[in-house]
Amino acid sequence: MPNHIELNIDGQLIKAEPGTNILQAAIDAGMYIPYLCYYPGMKSFGACRMCVVEVEGGRGLPASCTTPVSDGMVVNTNTDTVKELRKDVMDLLISEHPHGCLNCHRVDLCGPADTCLRHVSVNDRCVTCPKNERCELKDTVRYLEMDLDTNFKYNYRNLPLKVDEPFWDMDLNLCIVCARCVRVCDEVRGDNVLTLMDRAGKSLIGTSTGNSILESGCEFCGACIDVCPTGALVEKKHKWAKAVTTTSTVCNYCPVGCSIDIEVDSRQKVIRTKSQVQSPANHGQLCFKGKFGMEYINNQNRLKKPLIKAKEGFIETEWDEAASYLSNKLTEYKGDKFALIASGAGTNEDNYIAQKFTRLVMETNNIDVCTNVYPELVNPLEETLGFQAATNSIWDLENSNGFVVMTANLTEEQGVVGVPIKKALKTGSNLVVIDSRETELTRYAKAWLRPKPGTEAILVAGIIRVILDESLDDHEFLAEQCKNVPEFKNDIWSYDLVKVSEITSIPQNDIQSAARIIANSNPCSFIYGLDSLVSEYPSEYVKSIINLALVTGNMGKSGSGLYPMFHGANQQGSRDVGCTPDLLPGYRKINSESDRKTFESVWGISLPDKKGIGISGLASRVKEGYIKALYLLDGDEFITENDINSIIDNRDKLDFLVVHSSFSNALTEIADIVVPSKLFVEKNGTYTNLERRIQLLSNIPGKGEDLFENWEFLSKIGSNMKVDGFSFKSSSGVFEEIVSITGIYSGVGNKQLDSGDVQWPWYPDKFHGTSMLYEGTEQKFKLSPMNLKDNNLVDYELIKSKERPFLYAPGRILHDSSRKVEIEPFGKINKLKVDQVIEISPEDGRDIGVIEGDRVNLTTDTGAIEGVVSLSGPHKGLISITSLFGEIMTDLSQNKDPRAISNIERLNITTANVTKIT
Amino acid sequence: MSLFTEIETESKSIWREIESGEKPFIRIGTAMCGIAAGANAVVDEVKSFVSNNNIDATVSEVGCIGICFAEPILDIKIPDGTRLLYGNVNPENVSNIIDGCLLKSDIPKSKLIGSLGKIIEDNDGISDLLQAPIFKLQNKIALRNAGEIDPCDINQYIGRGGYSGLNKALTEMKSEEVLQQVMDSGLRGRGGAFFATGLKWSFLSKSNAKEKYILCNCEEGDPGAFNDKGILESDPHTLVEGIILAGYATNSSNGIVFVRHGHFGPINKIETAISQAYEKGLLGKDILGSGFSFDVDVSLTGESYVAGEETALMDAIEGKRSMPRSKPPFPAAFGVWGKPTNINNVKTLAYIPSIIEKGGEWFKNIGVNKSTGTAIICLSGKINNPGLYEVPLGISIGQVINEIGGGVTGGNKIKLLQTGGPLGGVLGEAGLEINIDFDEMAQAGAILGSGGIIVADETTCAVDLTRVLVAFCQYESCGKCFPCRLGMSQMLETINNIAEYKASEQDLEKCRRIGGAMQAGSLCGHGQLGFNPIRSALQHFKSDFDSHVFEKKCPTGGCESEYHFPVSTKPYGSSNSPNSEPINLVLNGKANQ
Repeated sequence: MPNHIELNIDGQLIKAEPGTNILQAAIDAGMYIPYLCYYPGMKSFGACRMCVVEVEGGRGLPASCTTPVSDGMVVNTNTDTVKELRKDVMDLLISEHPHGCLNCHRVDLCGPADTCLRHVSVNDRCVTCPKNERCELKDTVRYLEMDLDTNFKYNYRNLPLKVDEPFWDMDLNLCIVCARCVRVCDEVRGDNVLTLMDRAGKSLIGTSTGNSILESGCEFCGACIDVCPTGALVEKKHKWAKAVTTTSTVCNYCPVGCSIDIEVDSRQKVIRTKSQVQSPANHGQLCFKGKFGMEYINNQNRLKKPLIKAKEGFIETEWDEAASYLSNKLTEYKGDKFALIASGAGTNEDNYIAQKFTRLVMETNNIDVCTNVYPELVNPLEETLGFQAATNSIWDLENSNGFVVMTANLTEEQGVVGVPIKKALKTGSNLVVIDSRETELTRYAKAWLRPKPGTEAILVAGIIRVILDESLDDHEFLAEQCKNVPEFKNDIWSYDLVKVSEITSIPQNDIQSAARIIANSNPCSFIYGLDSLVSEYPSEYVKSIINLALVTGNMGKSGSGLYPMFHGANQQGSRDVGCTPDLLPGYRKINSESDRKTFESVWGISLPDKKGIGISGLASRVKEGYIKALYLLDGDEFITENDINSIIDNRDKLDFLVVHSSFSNALTEIADIVVPSKLFVEKNGTYTNLERRIQLLSNIPGKGEDLFENWEFLSKIGSNMKVDGFSFKSSSGVFEEIVSITGIYSGVGNKQLDSGDVQWPWYPDKFHGTSMLYEGTEQKFKLSPMNLKDNNLVDYELIKSKERPFLYAPGRILHDSSRKVEIEPFGKINKLKVDQVIEISPEDGRDIGVIEGDRVNLTTDTGAIEGVVSLSGPHKGLISITSLFGEIMTDLSQNKDPRAISNIERLNITTANVTKIT
Repeated sequence: MSLFTEIETESKSIWREIESGEKPFIRIGTAMCGIAAGANAVVDEVKSFVSNNNIDATVSEVGCIGICFAEPILDIKIPDGTRLLYGNVNPENVSNIIDGCLLKSDIPKSKLIGSLGKIIEDNDGISDLLQAPIFKLQNKIALRNAGEIDPCDINQYIGRGGYSGLNKALTEMKSEEVLQQVMDSGLRGRGGAFFATGLKWSFLSKSNAKEKYILCNCEEGDPGAFNDKGILESDPHTLVEGIILAGYATNSSNGIVFVRHGHFGPINKIETAISQAYEKGLLGKDILGSGFSFDVDVSLTGESYVAGEETALMDAIEGKRSMPRSKPPFPAAFGVWGKPTNINNVKTLAYIPSIIEKGGEWFKNIGVNKSTGTAIICLSGKINNPGLYEVPLGISIGQVINEIGGGVTGGNKIKLLQTGGPLGGVLGEAGLEINIDFDEMAQAGAILGSGGIIVADETTCAVDLTRVLVAFCQYESCGKCFPCRLGMSQMLETINNIAEYKASEQDLEKCRRIGGAMQAGSLCGHGQLGFNPIRSALQHFKSDFDSHVFEKKCPTGGCESEYHFPVSTKPYGSSNSPNSEPINLVLNGKANQ
C-alpha cells in the first residue's frame, strides 16, 4: 500500500491508508474498539457511539468510525471518560433490550446450550434469543465490564414476532436500531427492502413497501441477517441451533465462487451459511441460493451404497464390488461408443480425472461437463483475445462507468455479480441491457433494448456501426492494438441502421442512443450470457460482443471487463482441466498433433485424435444408437442443466448407463448401476470461478466419510482396468498433476491456495496471478467479421408451431412499485399474489381478438398462466410476462426436493399460445 | 443603459407613484399573524368599500410590520402623506376608518395606534410610533421592507432599492470582493451557532467543482420562533437577492430554499418571488448580462424538527429520511447530492443585500463587540406586545421585554424566559440583565438560537414547562444516534414522574447522568443540547423541583390541573399513533386542544 500514514492508537504505532477512519484502521491492525452500528465494508453511520475515542488535541469524544485518520494522530480508546460514556450509552441501550442473558445469576455457570426455566422473566430469558452467545451486544457489554446495576426503567417493547416470511424471521424486541440491515440493503445490495420507520424512541426497522419483505422486493440474499448484531434478524430454519463446527468452503451453485462458512450443529446438521467480508470473490455477499439453499445437505434420502440393477430391482453392493463390476462392464465399451458427462459443479480434481479416465482408459474424447451447453460462450475469446475466460475480476466491476448486460439474468443465476454492478450504478454509472426479457437489471438501465429474440448479434453489430459512423470508437486502440480492422469494418458496413432496426425491431433512435451511452461510458464492462438466445449463431453473437469491447477500447484496463456468464460452479475449471471433447488440459487442442504428443509423453499412452462428442451432440448420438454406454458423473446436476427426456426416451438405445448421484432421481431409476456421490461439502479439492480464481473446498469433518469422491472412484476403476496414472492418494495429489500439466496453473501450491488470491495464469517466478488479463500487453487483438449466412438468424417458423404460434419471453424482477400485489397466507407463511400482466403487441392483439384488460390464458409446453392483457408488447410475434421474484420464494421455502433451488425455472425463451377467457 | 437600470427606473417610478403620490395607499398586513387575527376579512371589506365608494386608492397586502399583537393592522397613507396605523381592526371598523381618513379628512381615533413618522398636518393626540420605544429601539435591516411593501410585487421591492446590491456586485465587484465585504461585516450565522458567515463561504469558494449549492434553511421548527417565515412572508425578495449574492461570492451554481412544509404563506411567497426574479432576468442564465448563472429552487421538509440540522436538511432535500450525517465530511466538501454545499439561515442571507449595498464596515458598526448587526427577536408568551422585532445587538433582554414588549401581562411578575427554542433551556428573572450578544449570552448559559423569546410569569410551574419542552425534544429526536434516541425517552419518563410526584432524588441524578451522556455522545446538536431544558430549569428553579420531589406538591398548581400531553408517550404496541396527536406548546400546563 503506498502513501501510508502512521498513527498512534493506545501507544501502539499503526499504519493506515489515508482516508480510512480510526476504527477501521484499528480493526485492520488487529485492535479492538467496541462498535455496534459500524460494519466493515459499509459507510460509517455514527449512531451507536460505542466506538467513541479521545483524540489528543481534538475536542470531545468523537466516534472513531466517522473520524478520518491523520498522520501523527494520537488516539486513546480506553480512557476513563471514554469508558464512562460507553457504559452510560450501553445502560440506556439495555434499558430496552432484554438482558436476562446478562444479569441472570446463573450466567457464569451456564453453558451455551443449557436451558432453564426460571430465574428471569419469560421475555428476558437467554433461551428466547436465537443469537444467544452469538450476540455482538452481549459481547460488547462483557467487554465494557458493566455491572448492570442500573436504575433506568426497563421498557420491554412487547411487539409481536414477525415469523411469517419465507426463510427470514424478525424479532423487533431485540432490535437495537443500528440500521446495519437497512444500510446493507441500500448501500451494498441496492434493494432498499428494509427501512427505518417512525422516529425518536419508537424508531424501528420496517419494510419499505407493504408489510412483508415479499412486497418490498426482497432478493433473499440474507445480507441483513449476516450484519445484524443481535437476535433481531435470523434465518428461520434452525434459528435455535448452535454451531459446533464451521467449515469454510466454496458455494457450488454458480461460477461466482462465493466463499461460505457452513455452520454445523452437534447432530451434523448444516444450520446456516454466512460469508466473511474478506472473501475474495464475493466480499461477504451471498445470494438466496448460497444463503438459504443449503438445507438439501440435511436431506435424509441420500444414496449411501452403490446399487446394481438386477432383474428384481436394484441390489445394494459394496464399493469394491461395484468398482470391479464397472471395470468388467466398461471394458466392453472402450472407444467412441462410450461417453462420459461430468458435472459442471465437480471439482477440478473430479473433472481432471474424468477426462483422463475417458481418454486413457476408455480411449475416446467423448467427454464433457453437463453445463457446457454453449461452448461458444467462451470459445471465440481464445481466437480473438487469447484466453477462454473473463478478462477482469468480479469486483473490478465497481470501477466501471458503463455496463452492457446482454441476454444474462445474472442477478438470479450469478447473483453476486450483480452486487458490484448495482453498487456502481448507484454512484452514476450507466447501464445498457440487451434482452427480450425483463430482468432485475432492466429497471436500472439507461437503455433497455428488447430485440426480436435471436437477432441480438445483428443488434450489437448495428451498435458498432453507429459507434464507427459517429466516430465514437477508440481510434488509438483500434490502430495500435487491433488487427483485422479493414475486414471487420468492411463487414460492419453491411449493418446500416435502417436494416438493423428492421431486423431487430428496435427503433433507430434507441440503437443510436444506446451506442452513445456505451461509447461515452468509459471504462465499460460487457457481461453476456446465452440464456435467452434462440439463435443458431451463438459464436457470431459472442464475436460481435468482443468486437464491441475492442472498438470502444475496453480491454486490458480496470473497469473494462468482458465477462461470460456460464452455469456450473466449476464450468471454468472443467474447461481448464480439459474436461471437454475438443480440449486437453490447459486448452491444448485435441486436433493438434504437437499438443497430443505433449500429453502422450506425460501420460505414456497414445491419445484418440478425433474431437469427441460433447453435451450438445449427446442426445442425437444416443438416439442414433452411436453411443452405447453412457457414464453420467452427476445425475442431479445433469437434470438441472439438460433435457433428460432425450435420455429417458432413448434408454433402450443404450446398453449401459452409469449414474453417479447423491439423491435418487429420474436418471438413477433407469441406470444399470447407481453410484452414490459426495456433496460438495463432503469434498476436498478445488473450484475455479468465473474470474479464474482457484479456490479450495473443505469438507465438513466426519460428513460423507464412507463415500468416494468421483476422482477416487474413477481412479479405482482405472487402476482395476490396468491403466497407469490413477494411483492418487489425495485430491491434492491430483491437483499437483493438474498444476504440472496445465501450464496456466503452474506454480500454484497449497500456500497460494490458502491465501485465496490465485487467479490464473499464475507466474511462479513473480509469485502472483492475474486479476486482469491483457493488462499492458503489446499483444494485438483480433476483430472478427461475423459469419452469417443470412440475416434471419432464426427461422421462427421452425420454432413456432400451430399450437404455440408466439415466442414467449418470461421475465422476473424483484420489485415494481406500479404493480398491485397482495399477500395471502400459505400455511403459516406469507405468499405473494400478483395478477400477471401479459404483454402482447397491438398487432397480435388485433389478430387474436383481445383488447387491453382482457383476461387470457397463456400456455407454454410446461404449463398455463392466467393474466390480464396489456397491449404493450414490444413487437409482433413476441409475448412476455414479468413475474416477481417474491412469487416463487414461498414455495421454495417449503419445498422438500433437494434440488428445488437448482431447479427454479430459468427464464428461457420458448413458444406459447394465448387464448381469451370468456 | 445597463439592463438593471432599465428595470430599476421602471420600478422606482411605480413605487414613487404609490408611496409619495397624492393617491392614498392602504396596506393591510396579511402575514401569518394578520391572517390568524382575521386580516383576510378586513382585506375583503377594504376592497369592497374602496370600489363601492369609487375611492382611487392603492390597496396592497403587505407582510408583518412587527407588532403582531395589534393585527389585523390597517395602514393608511392619507393624501397629505401622513401614514396612520389602525390596530385590531374588525371588518366592521373598516368603513368608519376609511371614510374618516379619506373622504371626510376627519381622522377617526378609535382603533388608531398612531402614525408612522411625523404628522404633516397638525393633529392632536396622535403619537408618532417611530418615536415610541417599540419602534425607536429597533433598527430594521433584514426587516426593512416588512410591512412596507407587497411581498408579491417585485416592483415594490426594487422600488425601495432592492436588487441594487446585486447589480452592484455583478457589475462592479469581483466575487472575491463580495466575499470580502461579508467577511468585513463580521456577520455571523443566525441559525444558532453564530459561525462567521464570510469564513463559511470561503470554504465553499475554494472548491472548483462545477456544481455547488447554497442552501437556505427555513425549517424553523422552534415553537416561539417565526422570524424566518416572517422574512419569507414579508420580504421574500431580500432572501432571493441574498442567496444570489451568496452564490456569486462563492461561485456556486444552485440555490435551494428549504421550507417547512404546510406553511403555505411563506412557501407561496418565496415561490412567487423566485419566479418573478426569473422573469426579470435576475435569476437563471447570465444574470443581468454578467455571465454569472444561478438557479434557485424551493424544497419542502417532511414533518421533522431535526430536518433543520444542516446535514439532515441535505438528506431531506435528497428525498431521504432526514437524519443528521456525521461530520466530517463537512458540507463544503460533501454536501447535498455529494456536491460542495453551504447552508445559511434565512436571516443571515437577508442581511446580505444591505451589506453589499452599504458595505461591510457599515454593518460592523451596528451591534457590539463580535456581535455585529441586529438580532431579530420573536417575542411571545405572557407579554403585552408579542411580535417580531429587529434590534441592534447589545441591547439587554430586559429592555426588549419591558420597553418593546411592554412587560408581562396582567401586571404579574416575570418568572422565566425561554430563549433559543426548546433546546435553549430557560433563564430566570436575572436573565433580563443579560445583553443580547451571542458571546455574552453563551457565557450566561443561555442561547439566542434563532431568536425566539417566550416569557412566562409567576403562575407558571417550572417543572410543568420543562416537561413540555422535554416532550418536544423527545418527540423530535430523529432516532438515529443511541444517546438521544434512548436518553430523551428516559428523560421524558423521569420528568413526567417528577410532575406526577412519583420521583425521588435519584431520578434527578439519573437525569444528570443521561444528560451528560447525551451531551458528550450525541451525533448532532439535538442530542447534545437535549439536556438543556432540565439542566437550566434545575439551575434556576431548583425549588420547584424540590417541592415536587420532596413535598409532593406543585408550587403553582399547574401540574395538578388536567394535563394533555403534547405527544403520546404511550409504550410500544399501544394503539395510539403519536402522529395523530398535534403538538401544542403550552405554557401553563393546559394545552389548547
